[in-house]
Amino acid sequence: MNRYFSLFFGPTREDLGRPDQILRILGYVLIVLVVLAFLGYLWVYGYYAYRLLLFPFDYDQGEGFELLDTLMLSRGEWPYRDSNVYPFYSSNYPPVFHLAIVPLVWIFGPQYWTGRLVATIGTMVTAAALSYGVYREQKERRWWLVLFAALAFFASNYVYHVGPLFRQHMFMVMFETLAVVLITVIVDREEASGKTNNRHLFWVMVLLLLAGYTKQLAYATVAAVFIFLFLRQVKRSIIWAIPFAAVTGLIFLGLNVATDGQWYITTVSANINEFIPGQAIGLFRQWFDLHLVLIVVSTAYAFYQLYFERLSAYSIWFVITAVNSVTAGKWGAGESYFATAVAASCLLTPLAFSRLLDWLNSRDFSWEKTLRTRLSTVAVVVMAPLLLHQAERVFHMPTHTPFLQSIARSLGKPTETFVAPQTSCSAPQPPEPIPYVDDAFVLVGRPPTDADIAAGKQIAAAILEGDTAAFSEEAGFNLYVGRDVVSNPTQLLNLYKAGEFDVTNMVQMLDEQAFDTIILRAQFYPGPVLDVIGQKYQTVELIEMNKFVYCIMTPIK
Amino acid sequence: MITKRMLGIGFAAVGLLAVIGLLAVDLVNAGDFQGIGPVQRLGLIGGAAVLVLGLTLIPLGNRPA
Repeated sequence: MNRYFSLFFGPTREDLGRPDQILRILGYVLIVLVVLAFLGYLWVYGYYAYRLLLFPFDYDQGEGFELLDTLMLSRGEWPYRDSNVYPFYSSNYPPVFHLAIVPLVWIFGPQYWTGRLVATIGTMVTAAALSYGVYREQKERRWWLVLFAALAFFASNYVYHVGPLFRQHMFMVMFETLAVVLITVIVDREEASGKTNNRHLFWVMVLLLLAGYTKQLAYATVAAVFIFLFLRQVKRSIIWAIPFAAVTGLIFLGLNVATDGQWYITTVSANINEFIPGQAIGLFRQWFDLHLVLIVVSTAYAFYQLYFERLSAYSIWFVITAVNSVTAGKWGAGESYFATAVAASCLLTPLAFSRLLDWLNSRDFSWEKTLRTRLSTVAVVVMAPLLLHQAERVFHMPTHTPFLQSIARSLGKPTETFVAPQTSCSAPQPPEPIPYVDDAFVLVGRPPTDADIAAGKQIAAAILEGDTAAFSEEAGFNLYVGRDVVSNPTQLLNLYKAGEFDVTNMVQMLDEQAFDTIILRAQFYPGPVLDVIGQKYQTVELIEMNKFVYCIMTPIK
Repeated sequence: MITKRMLGIGFAAVGLLAVIGLLAVDLVNAGDFQGIGPVQRLGLIGGAAVLVLGLTLIPLGNRPA
């Protein structure tokens, strides 16, 4: 028994009395419950990822455009193009994520599962790095806290929603996490040995560069790493910041020259969007509500380090990325902007608990022999319910089988969610039940069904009734039938607002009814484009896929 | 190596600049609101918090940050 006890609580040599044994068993049971709860979320994540791998269309509107970027790069073409001419397409994201998928597209063609698989693997690497970050700082091994770091990351609603999608965001978080863990390892080793190792620091810079050229938002982590380095080694941080900035700038300039200036327009101008304070405040409240225990413990630990010891890279990372999450208030941004702060809190929370348990075990309490063990056990009995409470706050699971429904019911949760299908180009519809429950439901997270696949194929078939590519808000349908992908609505709207998109050519083609099919989902196109569509096309069919109603339109005769 | 005192001075300076800058917004009549707007108020609270945080760090002296 002591062997198993020490596995979770750390080594102990004292013989315990009966009350202590009961307390110990209670702690043991609570830890098992924590691990089981978070393993449950890992299963939920795995099931969602599996269903997405089977789904051949856009689950999230941006996925198809990322697939198109990958396809273009696989052909040696830049996705940073002039949006003013047919096919009116340009990408607003840097290329690293797409380049990582290019070999899979060469072998298997433009399949959604390629990017979803790479993104899921990226999330797994992040989780492993978080666990390693906790593992290496524990004086006494507590596997449940090591495991918690990874499992809590998978359990976050935000990570769950976005992690298995063909989106570059979690790939950026992977590079960010690897960079922060690596800089911690390097600086710790250097301080212990008294020798600097520039070769290792070089790899941190490479990881930061990859993060930034996966998604621009990584600048917050770049700042966190350099601030940490500045606090520890002022001169060295400046010496490394100069070449890092120079290389980043040179790559930027090179891409801009290679794309005739389109790189700047499509990745910078198109990303300076309107800031909506209400959106930012709402998302901050939701983030805090969902991740309460993680945030409170991480914040407390950061303050502890600020006043009583040295600031770690993890604390700086958490604070800076949490503050930077205010950018989630930009039009087009969302919950995923909190993913890096979530990762940092998944690392800091088990670290804080490990530190506390290590401290309790290391104290030389002279007034009672078994006090150390007793305090450690009491601490675990307090910590574990906090983590169980965290598990309860991020509650989400599919409920499409009687067994899953019975789990939800036994946990006091509803067995279905009532959601009205999202309409923009058709009449509103009443709410209907769906077999998925999520405390942060945002229309992603529900595993796609066979009915959704059939609906996607029905929409794609509508394109084949005409001779041209469809003018579609999503790329997936044209890709499925092997026709051109025309337009990227949110990107065009951003460029239009920035004065970088001239609608003349597009409006002329629509006015001439140059497209046999139009597929709308959210009507994100600029106003003049929607106006001409309304004048020259009519809705002939409404098809629901993933709880969105798609309007299939054909030319008015 | 940066000390707690240096970090505290840095925080205090940033907080003070933020507070002064946000108050100065009204002097030059920038912003959409008359008086102190909601975002400005949030910024002022944040700036003041950073200022106070910095001031509390200064007495911690030459301990490494």
